[in-house]
Amino acid sequence: MIKLVSCALVLFLFIPMLILGQNKHSLSGTVKDKQNGELLIGVSFRVEGNPRLGTISNEYGFYSLSLPEGNQIVYVSYVGYEVQKIKLNITNNLKLDIFLESSADNGATLSEVVVTSRKKDENLSTSQMGTEVLNIKTIEKLPVLFGEKDILKTIQLLPGIKSTGEGNSGFSVRGGAVDQNLILLDEAPVYNASHLLGFFSTFNSDALKDASIIKGNAPAQYGGRLSSVLDVKMKDGNNQNFAVNGGIGLISSRLSVEGPIQKDKSSFIISGRRTYADLFLGLTEQFQGSELFFYDLNMKANYQINKNNRIYLSGYFGRDILGLNNSFGTNWGNASGTLRWNSIISNKLFSNTSLIYSNYNYDISFQNEVVNVGLKSKIQDWNLKKDFSWYASDNHFIRFGVNTIHHTIAPANITGSLSSSFPRKSRTSLEKAIYINDDHKVTEKLTLSYGLRISAFTILGGDTYRIYEKGELKDSVQLTKGAWGKTYFNLEPRLSSNYRINQVSSFKVAYSRNTQNLHLLSNSNSGNPTDQWIGSSYTVKPEISDQISIGYSRNFDDNNYEINVEGYYKNMQNQIDYRNGADISFNVGEDIEADLLFGRGRAYGLEFIAKKKEGKLTGWVSYTLSKTERKIDGINNNQWYNSRLDRTHDLSVVATYLLSPKWTLSGLFVYSTGNAVTFPTGKYELNGQTIFHYDSRNADRMPAYNRLDLSATYEAKKRKKFQGSWTFGVYNAYGRQNAYIIDFQDNPKNEGTTRALQTSLFRWIPNITYNFKF
Amino acid sequence: MKKQLSIATVLLFTLAACEKEIDLNLENKSGQLIIEGNISDQVEPHLVRITRSVSFTQANQYPAVSNALVTLSDNAGLVDTLKYLSDGNYRTNKLKAGVSGRTYTLQVFVEGKTYTAQSELPERVPLTGLRLVPMTFLGNTSYDVLPEYIDPPTLGNFYAFIVKASSQKGMVFETETDNFGNGVANQRDVEIPSDEDNPVKAGDIVNVEMRSIDKNIYTYFTAVDQLIGDGPNGGISPANPPSNINGGALGYFSAHTSQVRSITIK
Repeated sequence: MIKLVSCALVLFLFIPMLILGQNKHSLSGTVKDKQNGELLIGVSFRVEGNPRLGTISNEYGFYSLSLPEGNQIVYVSYVGYEVQKIKLNITNNLKLDIFLESSADNGATLSEVVVTSRKKDENLSTSQMGTEVLNIKTIEKLPVLFGEKDILKTIQLLPGIKSTGEGNSGFSVRGGAVDQNLILLDEAPVYNASHLLGFFSTFNSDALKDASIIKGNAPAQYGGRLSSVLDVKMKDGNNQNFAVNGGIGLISSRLSVEGPIQKDKSSFIISGRRTYADLFLGLTEQFQGSELFFYDLNMKANYQINKNNRIYLSGYFGRDILGLNNSFGTNWGNASGTLRWNSIISNKLFSNTSLIYSNYNYDISFQNEVVNVGLKSKIQDWNLKKDFSWYASDNHFIRFGVNTIHHTIAPANITGSLSSSFPRKSRTSLEKAIYINDDHKVTEKLTLSYGLRISAFTILGGDTYRIYEKGELKDSVQLTKGAWGKTYFNLEPRLSSNYRINQVSSFKVAYSRNTQNLHLLSNSNSGNPTDQWIGSSYTVKPEISDQISIGYSRNFDDNNYEINVEGYYKNMQNQIDYRNGADISFNVGEDIEADLLFGRGRAYGLEFIAKKKEGKLTGWVSYTLSKTERKIDGINNNQWYNSRLDRTHDLSVVATYLLSPKWTLSGLFVYSTGNAVTFPTGKYELNGQTIFHYDSRNADRMPAYNRLDLSATYEAKKRKKFQGSWTFGVYNAYGRQNAYIIDFQDNPKNEGTTRALQTSLFRWIPNITYNFKF
Repeated sequence: MKKQLSIATVLLFTLAACEKEIDLNLENKSGQLIIEGNISDQVEPHLVRITRSVSFTQANQYPAVSNALVTLSDNAGLVDTLKYLSDGNYRTNKLKAGVSGRTYTLQVFVEGKTYTAQSELPERVPLTGLRLVPMTFLGNTSYDVLPEYIDPPTLGNFYAFIVKASSQKGMVFETETDNFGNGVANQRDVEIPSDEDNPVKAGDIVNVEMRSIDKNIYTYFTAVDQLIGDGPNGGISPANPPSNINGGALGYFSAHTSQVRSITIK
């Protein structure tokens, strides 16, 4: 710990040297939407005649800009909003809250924009690599399965982000596993972001403001996962007027209510969603006593204490309930709460303090005449964060802070009429981090973002930890409650740079190290609600990844078209797999760690995206060429093999066309190489049953996947304050039978032979949704 | 319980799924040596079957290996050379019935290579009866069968159940461990094989064989179970089950107890 602190101190000592000798004044404040008071993230500020100056508002809508004395003209711009020109005579430090007017309210429509950076040419000026920002409003019109708009499915259409399966909300970033994505909802980690076997995500887009995904080169304030950060922010709620919006779909309905608590100052939003297939099923005799539904509830309120201090309270609660004929029931879900305190300490220093609670648990029960058993598990976090944004000078923007998370993991424990011979105890651990990151404009053309995150993971007492080497028990450590066990320290340097070649193009290079101390043991692609999270232990080491990326961006036609190309290479250490025959799903053995195997991973690829950002036709084409491999001690004769989600080609084409002010058409097409799988290379017979023989792991391919989805949105004329819209769509419009599962089995139609049977899921799935707001 | 979870998946699939047979160009690594050895505590012919694997597209006809030298020994001085019958089967000569607590060693010498395996015959746990347990799923009632026995208090008992029904061609092979429910009366039922088009009906006789097996065999059959019915992209990455045979052959050698009981479906 002392080492950690002194390291950080050295870093801080250098900073003042960078910012001596300034003779400027600052302009600072917050940026809001004029109509509803919603704080705006990523609004860009430009100073006329001085391209080196300029800034971007942070995730709480705060900005600070250093300006030389005298008359200045500042342009404030944000996608979907009117540009605001502000004339100022700078004589001393100035506070100014800015209200931007949505262009939609001036007659223009936002549907022209699909997915775009927040600033027209932000792709050229930011040093951040592998980042995509999704504006929730703008994904509304894309076709989706069952008409449930879903950010987790939209991001899968971006380069380097792959779907884990048909219609699934799980995703893999640059060859990483599903658990290597840090998914944050108002800073609270979401441990299982899916509903109903993965076909829906936990994100109700009515309650969301903004989402961004960073593919491995995240700045130092983020940490804890190897592959990506998906940072989702909830809406703050309208602080001007009460507003209601909702939707009625085939699968679920949604309703949101928002409004001011004190006008101009504070607001709230409550948003709910529930599926209702079960309400109809319940009417049939077959389904009597059965339940099958999920729901989400998002709530947020903010309160302005005074000009410089504001408090936010946000919460999420969602559950999946599945019960069959009173004999079998499952119930799982996430609950999280975030209490945040934003404080403007000075015109250059902004702080945010967050206390975050997060809980994921499941509860399964089964009963018949003979047996009744229950299975329960949970993962619970208490998380305290202190983060500072320091607009140190016109060319240094510094983020620094600390973060402590207390994890409690209660592994699956059986209760009821059967008891386990190896009851599991809850395990606790402490994850700590200290970080600093500097966004440095070195010259007019060169910007750097560099930082360091020092992370420490401590195993806390309360259980006995066995130490296995290659599956053999070597030793054990008994930690009494309150005792501190082993601590893993990791230094995670991050660097990204952007060199602006000219007005329309830039070149980027980045390196980043990430570590991960929570690991998900899953034996399926899409993930089961019962998949077990485990912390690093004496046997399980922290996962470590090093990623290098190089990119080139070019804009055309006054930033209307944008092309980004990125290449990456990623090396991953301490990757986890499990031995053949291990039953990890219900964890019946003495210690699951005895069944784990460890090794390395590597991933490399080339990502390409071309966007058209304005006009009647908007959209993008994204293509990824990639390779992902693993080498695990004890699997595939210790040779490198394809990871399951290794897919050579991935192509997405997304287009939205504004046909008339009332009608919008959109479509998307995806094509990808099949997943790497293991097919049998022969068969034999045991006990009179046919058994298949396998050789190299994942040396075969599922058939290639392709699909076209279409949708049309009709927006009726606004009547007084009420506006309704209809969305019609079809998923898999040409009915391609994509392979979801291939089963090898005895052929019932032709005895004495075997066959390969392909199961396909969704073809021609129509949807219709009615949305309204007033 | 795992089965119940997959029922939920099935439910979802039936809403939208469709199936078709497909042709795949599969690699052919046929000709692997397969050894299946079973020694029970009953007075019955104990067989070791040696065959070779075939390619996926061939018929389920497995070439018999008839020229092997197969010997069985135990830690009480027994040495038995097995006699070839037919269809790859070799039968014991001296061994009448296996004895609980003894470790049996199988040695197979074929085409210049030696394969060995060991298995310890566990203590017998009496199968005292069978009971039908009704299972209601979406309005349909079907039956599972509960093997009635009391697990011994010491931990480390493993069981295999082989269930057949008179109207059914298929069978169910399931394994259990006392990692759950150690030392108490069994509460876990076993499925009865039932074809979708031709389900089990009243009057069918259900036969259950209960075996006490050793730990290696339990692990082996658990791995086999994971392979069946959970194809690529759905379940685990399939791999060959961890065999207790040294020398590179596939299959297993199991010394186990055996008890058979039957019950009629009402």
